[in-house]
This record gives sequence, C-alpha cells and structure tokens, in this order.
Amino acid sequence: MPSQHSSPERRAASQGGCDGFLQMRMQRRDAMRVGFCSALGLSMGDLFRIQAESAQGAVTVKEGKARSVIHLHLPGAMAQQESWDPKPEAPSEYRGAFGVAKTSNGDIFSENFARLAKVSDKINVVRSVVGKIPDHSQATYHLFTGYTPTTVIDYPQMGSVVSHLLGQRGELPPYIAIPNIHSFSGGTGYLSSSVGAFQLNADPGAAGDFRVRDMTIPKDVVPAQLERRNHARKIIEAQMRRLEADTDKLDTMDGFYKSAFSLLTSEAARSAFELGEESEATRDLYGRGYKLKQNAPAAVGERLLLARRLVESGVRFVTVNYGSWDSHVDIKGTCNEHMPALDHALTGLITDLEQRGLLDSTLVMVTTEFGRTPKVNSSNGRDHWARVYSMLLAGGGLTRGQIYGASDATSSEPSRDAVPLEDFLSTVYHQLGIDSSVRLPAFGGTRPIDIVKGGKPVKGLIA
Amino acid sequence: MMFALLKKRFFPRLGLRVPRKVFAVWSMAFLSVFAEELFAAAIVTPPASGSQVKEARSFRRDVMPVFFRAGCNQGGCHGAARGKDGFMLSLFGYDAPGDYFRLTQEFVGRRINVAAPEQSLLLLKAIGGVPHTGGEVIAKDSPLYQTLLDWISAGAPDDPASVPEPVSIALVPDNMVFDTSRAPIPTKVIAKYTDGSSRDVTALALFSSNNPAAAKVDAGGVVTPSGRGDTSVFARFNRFTVGAEILVLPENKGFVWPNPVSKNAVDRAVYKRLEQLRILPSPLCDDATFVRRVFLDLSGSLPSRFESESFIDDPALDKRTKLIEHLLQSQGFIDMWTNLWAEWVRVKGGGYAPAATDVKAADAYYEWIREQIALNRPWDEFVADQITASGSNLTDGPANLFTMLVHDVKVTPKSLASDFSQLFTGVRIQCAECHNHPFDRWTMNDYYGWVSFFTGIRRKQGVEPREFYVFNDVSAAPAKHLIDERPMPARVLGGESAVPVGEDPRKALAAWLTAKDNPLFARNFANRFWAQLMGRGVVEPVDDLRVSNPPTNGPLLDALAQTFVDSGFNLRAFLKVILESNTYQASAASNPTNVDDTRQFSRASLRRMRAEVLLDSLVKATDGERGFSYFPKGTSAVQQYPRSPGDTTRLTAGDSFLETFGRSARQSVCACDTKTESTLSQTLHLVAGDTVLNQIRAGKVAERLLAKKAGPEEVIGDLFLRALSRRPTPSELSKLGALVAESQGSPVVVYQDIFWSVLNSSEFLFNH
Repeated sequence: MPSQHSSPERRAASQGGCDGFLQMRMQRRDAMRVGFCSALGLSMGDLFRIQAESAQGAVTVKEGKARSVIHLHLPGAMAQQESWDPKPEAPSEYRGAFGVAKTSNGDIFSENFARLAKVSDKINVVRSVVGKIPDHSQATYHLFTGYTPTTVIDYPQMGSVVSHLLGQRGELPPYIAIPNIHSFSGGTGYLSSSVGAFQLNADPGAAGDFRVRDMTIPKDVVPAQLERRNHARKIIEAQMRRLEADTDKLDTMDGFYKSAFSLLTSEAARSAFELGEESEATRDLYGRGYKLKQNAPAAVGERLLLARRLVESGVRFVTVNYGSWDSHVDIKGTCNEHMPALDHALTGLITDLEQRGLLDSTLVMVTTEFGRTPKVNSSNGRDHWARVYSMLLAGGGLTRGQIYGASDATSSEPSRDAVPLEDFLSTVYHQLGIDSSVRLPAFGGTRPIDIVKGGKPVKGLIA
Repeated sequence: MMFALLKKRFFPRLGLRVPRKVFAVWSMAFLSVFAEELFAAAIVTPPASGSQVKEARSFRRDVMPVFFRAGCNQGGCHGAARGKDGFMLSLFGYDAPGDYFRLTQEFVGRRINVAAPEQSLLLLKAIGGVPHTGGEVIAKDSPLYQTLLDWISAGAPDDPASVPEPVSIALVPDNMVFDTSRAPIPTKVIAKYTDGSSRDVTALALFSSNNPAAAKVDAGGVVTPSGRGDTSVFARFNRFTVGAEILVLPENKGFVWPNPVSKNAVDRAVYKRLEQLRILPSPLCDDATFVRRVFLDLSGSLPSRFESESFIDDPALDKRTKLIEHLLQSQGFIDMWTNLWAEWVRVKGGGYAPAATDVKAADAYYEWIREQIALNRPWDEFVADQITASGSNLTDGPANLFTMLVHDVKVTPKSLASDFSQLFTGVRIQCAECHNHPFDRWTMNDYYGWVSFFTGIRRKQGVEPREFYVFNDVSAAPAKHLIDERPMPARVLGGESAVPVGEDPRKALAAWLTAKDNPLFARNFANRFWAQLMGRGVVEPVDDLRVSNPPTNGPLLDALAQTFVDSGFNLRAFLKVILESNTYQASAASNPTNVDDTRQFSRASLRRMRAEVLLDSLVKATDGERGFSYFPKGTSAVQQYPRSPGDTTRLTAGDSFLETFGRSARQSVCACDTKTESTLSQTLHLVAGDTVLNQIRAGKVAERLLAKKAGPEEVIGDLFLRALSRRPTPSELSKLGALVAESQGSPVVVYQDIFWSVLNSSEFLFNH
C-alpha cells in the first residue's frame, strides 16, 4: 500500500495541479519570452508572488487517514426527525408518526433506522449541522461545493477538488457518480472539466444486466491497433498544440483519452463494475428486492455495493444518489417507501466495509441538502428547514459511535456543538489529508480561492 | 363585528388591500394568543409627544432603507419568505405596508415601544443588546440607529398617503480606469424621487464588486483596485441596482498598439477595448481554418474535400466574402438556423395527444420556421408572427409556440411568462414573482403585469384527438398581485400603463417587443447570434441580461444591437457583418498578451462542436450513414428534432449520441441546456462506441482509394481534407506514412486506424 500511496504531492504536481500547475505555466511563459505582461492574466511579478504564497500557504496534500470517500446523497432533504434525530418527547405535531429504535451506544434513532441502530457503534451522527438556504437548488450546490451559488465564480464539487488534488489511484477515474451527478450540485467550476465526475449513466440497481456503455473494446479491434491509433492521434495533436491556445481544453482531451485507453485495456478496471462477482451473502447484506413507487427497484443497495467495489479498486470519491425526499405532503408515506431499503443498504455497507478492513480507510458520508421543519404541516408533511439537521459520517479515521452535537427539544435550532456545513466539509477534507483553508489557484492563478471558506475541521469527530 | 372593528382599528392604511382570509387568520391569532397584550396596547397608542424630534423621519424614505442597508430584510435574515425567528420583513422591502404592520401592530408594543423608544425590541435586537441570531447589525452610535430611534420617538408614524418614491439612482462616477495611479476613488449614490428631489443615499446603499480580484468596494462606496483586470461595482438602493465599470490596467511595459485595420463597427468596438486593456489581437486565421470554421458555424457541417480545396486554392482576394455570401444562401444555413430556433422554442414531437405536442404539430411548426428562415423574414416579423399566432396546432405552425414552450396538458401562465421573457428578452423575470428583483430593475408590478399577457392562452380540443386550437381568451382575468391580490392588467416590462383591454393583448406585446427602440429585443438576439458565432456572448450566460451581469464590452453589444436594428432585423445581413469582421476571422493562435483572454474576443477560442454538428460532420467526413428513429432515411442530425411515440414532457435529446454530447434536452428554455464541455463518457464513446467505427466501415473511404491504387500520400491527404479541411504537413505525412510502411497486415486496417485518429483529434472535435 505505501508504495502505491507514497507521494501524493508528486502526483498532484505531475498532473498539473497546484504547484505543478504553476511551474508548467512558468516554463511555457519563459519559453515565450514575455516582453510585457498579459492584460487579464499574470505579470511575472504576480506569478512569483502567487508561487511564494502557495509555497507558504502550501497547497500540499499529506497522506490522510481516509483514502476514499463514499458520498451517499439523499436529494430532496430527508427529515432529521424521521431518521437520526427523533423527538419522542415532543408534542405530537413535532414528533411525527414513527417510534424509536434503541442504538447500541445507548441513544435512539427513528424506528426507520432500526438496522442502522445496531451498528451505531461504528458510525457518527452529526445532529447539529447548520445550512444556509432552504432552497433545493442553492443548498445542493452549497453542500457539494462548499459555497452558495454566485453569478461570478462557479465553484467545483468536492469530488472534483479531491480528484484535482489527489489524482488517480489505479486504473479507474478518481471521481465516479452512480448513476449521475445531481443536476443542482454544480460541476467542475473553475477547475478543468478533466476533474469532472465520470457519470456511469447506468444504474446497477435497474432491472436487467448492468453494463456501463462503451467500456469494452469492439470485438474485432486488437490491442496493437489501439496502440497505433493512440500513436497516430498524438502525431495529429501536435498541430493544435502549436496554436498555444486554450491548452487547458487540449490537456483535458488528452487526459480523457489516456483514461479511456486505460479503462478499456485493464481487466481490473472492467471487473470493478461486475456486481456478479459478489457472493450471494454479500448481496443480501445490502438488501435486495425493495421497490419504490411504480414498482421501480429501490437500487440503493446495488449502488452502494458498486461504490464499495470502486473504492476497493482505488477510486477516490464515489457519489451515489438515492431517492426523492421532498416530503411536503405525507411524510409518513415517503419514509415507508424509501427508508427500509436505505436502512438495509447503509447498514450493509458499514458492515461490509468493516468486515473487509476498509472502514478505516474509507470515509462514508450520508448527506441531504437540508432538514425539515420542526412541525408536521397541515398536509402531514414537513417543509424545508436549514437551521439544524442531521447527517452521517463514518470511517476514514473518524471517531466511532458518536452522536455529535444536538438539536433543541423541537429540532428547531442546534442546542450544542453546532456544525456549520463548511465545518462538516472541512472535516472530510481533513481526513483525506487536504487542508481546506488553502487556496487553489483559479483562473490561471490570477485568483486564489479557498477550498472551503471559513470551514474548520470538527476536532471532536477526529479519532 | 369584532373582525370589522379590528380591521378598522389596525388596517387604517391597508384598507381593502388585505385579503379578508388573511386578515381573519391574523386576527384570530391575536385574539387567542395575545389578547391581553392587544387590548392593553390598544389603550396606549398615541404618539409620544414629549420627545424632541429633530427631523421628521419617514417610514418609507428613512426607516426602510436602514433595514436594507443593515441587511435585516435580506433573504438569509428576516427577508426570508417565512421570516426569521418569528419576525418577517419583506425581502429588500418590496412590501412597505406589510413591513409597517409587522413592526407596529403584529405584536403591539413588542417590537416598537413608543413609550420607551430605546426599549423597543427592534433597537435592542439590532444593537445586539438582547440575544439576536444576527448579532449586532447596527452600532448604537451610528446614524442608522439614530434614524430608527427618531422615528420611534416620534410615535413610529406611518407615512402620509403620498410619500415621494425613488424613481432612479445613479452611481457617480460610473466609469473608473486605474492606470498608473492606484489611489482609491470614492463614489456617491444619488437617488431621484417622484417629487423631483434628489438625495445622496451613499450611506444607505449596498455596494458589491463582481470581481474583487480586480477592484474592491467598501461599505462606504470607496473603490480600491486590487489587481489588473476588469470588474463592475454595483450599488443597490431601494429597488434599483446601478453599476460602474472598472478597468485596472496592467503596467505599460513597452506595449505598442499596432493599430490594426478595422473592417467594421464590430472590429472598432473590440479593438478599442483591446487597446485600452493592452491586449494584442491575433492575426487572421489561414484559409483552411476559415473555410472549416464558417461552414460549421453557418451550415452546421464540414465542407466537403472539394469545397475546402477549391477555396484554399482560389487566388481571389474577396474569396472569404464570397464564401460567406454563398453559405448564407445555402440549404445548410436554413437547416442549421431552423435547428437553432427549434431548439430555443423547445420543439419536440410525441404521440401523446393531450399536451398538444403531437409529431404532426411539431412538424407543422418546424416547417413553418424553415420557410421563414428560407425567406429571410425580418426577425421582428418572424417573432411577432409566433407571439400573436392562433389556430390549429396541426396546420398553423407558429401557434405551436404555445404548445412547445409548455409541453404540458395545462398552460401555467407564470411559467409561460418567465420562459417567454428569458427567450425573447434575455430577462429572467421570475425573481420578481415573490419580491422585486434584487439585482435588476424589475418589480413585482412588472412581473404580474407581464404574466397577464398569458392568462388568456387557451388550447381547445379540436375534431381529432391530436388537434388543439390555440387562442387568447380576451375576457380572461388578469394575474393577481401576490401581496394584495389586486388584479394586474397586462403591462409590458417597464411600461407606464396597461395595454388596452378588449383586443388580444399579444398584439401589443409583439409591437412593444419588436419595436426598433426596444433595446431588450435587439440586444438579446444580437448577443445570442454573436455567441453562436464566437462561442461566447458579450453577455454570458446569454439568457441572463440584467444590470448586475453587464456585458464584457458594453460598446460592442451596443454596436451589435444597432447593426441588427439598422439592418431591419435582417438575420443574414446582420450575421454577415460579424462574419466579415477581423474579429470573427482571427486565428486561435495566442500571443503573450491574449493567451488568457477568454472574454474580449482577441482571438478565436476552441469550441467543441455542438452534438448534432459533430455527428453530421462525422458522417460527412466518412461518407457514412446514420439514421434516426422516427425520421426518414437521409435525415441529418441538424435536420431533426427530438421525437418519440410517447409523451414529450420528459423526452430528452432522443438519441444516445446526441445526449452524450450534450444536445439540449429541451426541458427548459435555458441556454445552459446545450452543453459543449468534454466528458470521459464522450471520449469512451468515440474510442469504443459504435459511432466512429461504424461510420468508417460504412463509408469505405480507404477501400475505395486503395481500389484506385492510391498511395499513402494520397490516402492520408484525402482523410485530412475530409475531416480537417487541410492538407497534412510534410512531417505528418512522413510519420503517418511510416505507420503504413511498418504494418504487416492489410493496409485498409492501418488507414482505418489513421482515419480513426483523425476523427478523434482535437482538431476535428473542436471548431477552431
């Protein structure tokens, strides 16, 4: 393992991230004999200044305890009351329809998480997350990027930042989305589109065979041909390179070709997507046969199982989406439909990772863009509430068995240890060895931007 | 009885504007929970007479701006739709009577205490004297505090019926250039009022900078440069936002402006800005690049090998202009620009009748668009015809504007109104549904007046299930204002008065929209067309024109809009001006001054081809063939629109290649639905998917050449001309020729591999 993971600094540089990025720019500029500075770009002086800044402030990446992240996102906003933060003592209009399940560490979850309660000694629940805007689109962007949306700067998703800084490990792309990234969650922002999520556009939980499109070499093409094609392509690329224009776009293209060839030719990469290689027992561990409305497969078990396989193959960041949680009407129905599969699959994932000795190197986070209102409304639903809600963090060198922070009696405000979303995200970055207060050189280095502005890792969650 | 009494007592100024239902809810709440407080307060409400009032403070003119400046009424605080911590102010102060009510009468004696003004919760909270989620937002020794205190001390009076309202604000100076001097520049905000007075409101305005890396602005409006670049600084006051353009120039180290020749108004505007910013434009691109670029942009496909060669070898000096003129008159142009408009108005055809978007309806609309583009109908007439169209969706093509923009069984006037505005004016009016647009000049009155143009849109079932008659019911009730439910008759954006009743309001709408002096229309389309040819709008995104999202070169956008107007909204004539400019014809090759320029059009940018153009180009280069489900054989990607046997509501690009490469799903009018970013999935598809391989095999280009006994130079030369519209360089020829020589197996396979590589090169995938 150490040999594979010895020098993320160097890898980051070789991929054109951070320092390497600046150095590359220097060389190119030197070669061009800069006579006067570029108007909207950098002068030589600025360049040295930024380089010095990054040397001090250090966009360095240490080896973190977590090598990978599995990020399960529950879009639409899951209610804290019906999941990790039930309020059985509150008046019935706050309490909701469900009972509670005792956790193994002496606390309670909603009965919807009866299975998860039994592995609560392995996970942490943060009950005092504080968001900013109770609007799906803006809050989802905030959650995925660490920033609320602006019209001027588009910020990159956490998976893209991780991909940019840590680079690829093994044959697979560093950031994969099962099956897609959420449309509100932003993209690669000011980073190159080469660090975007590889979206499978295929769902391992859907009916029929699971196959990621275009992941196999056509039958009658032999490996020697692939090499020749790649070689010929490089010959032709030289012409565009001579323009010295929009080189980031050309670099991105080259990166994709490199990834594509390695994905196609590696047996290991292909096998990472084969759920059929799992034992029946493991598949049962994640739960099977759950259905959603219109009898569609719930699929969360298969998606999380695939996520585990991808992490085992070296993927840095896997984003999984599940369900549709925006329950303004009949929250009981939404819970009954969505939660059994989630409870089963999430418990399966934690158990499976633990059994394989992967839980310490894999950070699992379960998020939702905000919580739901303290009171049940007149349609038996709950509305949007960003002032306090709950999320899960487990593994990756974090503590175990903690209920961190608390909401007040009606789940209206945090009552202790409030964790702003920025702190939550910084904690995850910290476990990956990334100091989220450092600034990435955006816009060709002209504007260094904090990875997460103002976030601090939550010490109490770090083992 | 009790209600009536209360209403009289507590809503003297609101009068009928408070809906009965809402009032009943409020008063019930008082009675049940705060009855005691209510009656106690009812006795003690006379204004405090003893206090020394220096200057009469007006609630609207003086007090509400304090909430604005201190941030109390912003979205994250009490301006949230449900308020914050039980206290709500209208967002940015759109609802003065409501704010007055909530402050003085929602909890009488609590927020405002006229007997002991300094004990008013409003003041204690604001200075952080009692626990306040927002902390201290106003200093006790500040003028803002004094304003609130004076007003409360005077009995917290409401304003007389007519209080002067601001009609505009100005930021002075509105243009700042920092060159050798980097000294901060103070600005002022001056507000003009309905009574003709004006007032310095700098201390009450909010300031922001679009790009703090270039220049920052502090709370007092002082602008300080921070690094070279450009930005806009904005001031907001009341419902107005104004901007000032800031340029922070790089040091002038031996920069010499070479004074390049301007062909026309486009070049003049671009070069003027470049000279100022000390950026050198790139020289013109070579002929091979030009012929490829202009074919892709105008006709949506590659030139043939013959077309490229004859253009490159033509010695005529005016050959570029001739080619432009030729392409503007080509069938390809009609296909491509029909395709663009069909995408913008969301043409999709299905087999599910109730949404009125049957394939037959989509076809009728598509064909009508095609005819108009072929005839070069002036753009104002083309647009007006669609806006005012009525009739059968199956036979009256343009009436489908009101089926395709909707894709639903039901017409929702509000969605239609905001889509309409985004498409035809570039304005995203929907922000003004719940509050005055915070970053633009639009008010809720504008919004609801605008919605009323669409409240009468009806689609009536015809004889057969697929047929619907689109018409406007002139007797339809106008939209009601969110706050007071007053009916808001149809009124154009920024208009003074409602349009005449009794006739179809869409006529007035079309006349206003397409008027030569309506900058919204000309600027919107000039900018969109420019973006189509240049890869980026002068305003970006192209469908978000607002005060706080200014053009990167204002005079350029002005010049484009003026050119479009002066041409009589002649699409081809307008495009010709852009196409003939040195700006459009510039090379992508960079120089040290413009290598990082992505906003000032100093060089061409690499643009990945749009999905449908890429697919057609692949097919054309390979002599291949690619059909589409539900379309006759021979239909190209540019000539088709998404079709399905089912419902069109959720129908996306309708073809997996087009979807992977980001063709607009036409799920909304947003220009962002068309994506041209590269992704790994796209590369995988080009490398291992069936498209490239099948096209190469189907076209048999190499096979045919080999049958004619062509040598490596000829075959490789042919592949290059087909796909890249240029001849290979000697170095390319020798390196690629070596691959052929080295190979043991069939030369066809080697040439296919080389062809594959050409089609997978950036030079092929990008328009450059």
